[in-house]
Amino acid sequence: MLPVVVTALLAVAFSYTSSTSTSYGSPEGTDRANVEFRAAILAVREAETAGADEGQLRILTEQLNSVLWMIERAERLALQGDLEGAAVQADRSVEVSKGVVLEASRVRDGASLRTYYGKVLTFGMVPVASLLVTAITHFGWKWRRRHELDRLMRMEIKGVKEPEEET
Amino acid sequence: MTPKLSEDVKRAIMVFIMATIVFTMLAYVAITPRPREQFFQIYVLGETGMAERYYPENNSDIIVGRVVKWYVGTTNFMGSVQYVVIKVKLANSTIKAPDDVNHVPSPAPVLLEFRKVLTNNDTWEFPFIWVMKEVVGDRGVVSPTILEINNVKIRNSHVSALRGCNLRIVFELWTYDPQSDSFVFGWRTGAEQRVAWLQMWFNATRPGTSL
Repeated sequence: MLPVVVTALLAVAFSYTSSTSTSYGSPEGTDRANVEFRAAILAVREAETAGADEGQLRILTEQLNSVLWMIERAERLALQGDLEGAAVQADRSVEVSKGVVLEASRVRDGASLRTYYGKVLTFGMVPVASLLVTAITHFGWKWRRRHELDRLMRMEIKGVKEPEEET
Repeated sequence: MTPKLSEDVKRAIMVFIMATIVFTMLAYVAITPRPREQFFQIYVLGETGMAERYYPENNSDIIVGRVVKWYVGTTNFMGSVQYVVIKVKLANSTIKAPDDVNHVPSPAPVLLEFRKVLTNNDTWEFPFIWVMKEVVGDRGVVSPTILEINNVKIRNSHVSALRGCNLRIVFELWTYDPQSDSFVFGWRTGAEQRVAWLQMWFNATRPGTSL
């Protein structure tokens, strides 16, 4: 009987702690909001490293700043004792952070694909450009040789007129 | 028996190899980002938004209730998105200033923090309006006990100065370091760490008293 009671009490205690650990009015709540915010920053940085363009990064950064504002507001409300308001703000910040992570990964995928194609195109152009240069050099050389030969063939042996003997 | 290549073909092959080498190098240079110096810039401007008129009537003796308006700004030249914090500290002449060599922040108490995420080349400038709401003096030692910065009331019980002289507001730039998952004073560029900070000196006076 005793083990059953202890287990039941432990289960109740565990369910209580797990439910309170997700309340955002508490410091743990804003902590979670901060964790999500940092994950969002890392996601945006990854997108930037992958080659995301400036406009997309600016939009993501604006969203990050709005998350920052929400977290600060949540912390202020928690300090003032408005735990419910703080929880709402922290909740919203977590949602926006998650949205930023999703959007950033989408931007990162697009950017890395674009960067990849860019690299393939750049290096793919190397043999094409080399062939072009080779062809131009080859035919240029041939033309010049032919031109030189033509010039040679057109040459005439001009007799040097000796001055007439004085009679 | 291997066919003998004509002089023309040999020359063409040589040209092709040389051109391939040159164009590969060009392509590599084109797709590799150029290394640039990574740094932040931090500044404080006076009430006109210029490097002038930092104090009311150009007098650094600040009376209780007198509003002082500055503009604090920072620019990100790190080449990437950065999460920055400007920590505002109150210090007197004996509290250590931040250490540029060892990258140690000032031990002065933090009054307020301003946070922002900046894209590369982005400048963040905000008004910094402060006023001493209460100054307490005891045997010549003056302490600004209540300050208001951008409408946020802040209590100070740590910092005081003899006759209220040589107090200073220190602005320190901190950045988020993803590797350590914490804020660092200044910023890291490769293996190096650099710091940026500013300080504004002032004297705290009460109405009817002079230094």
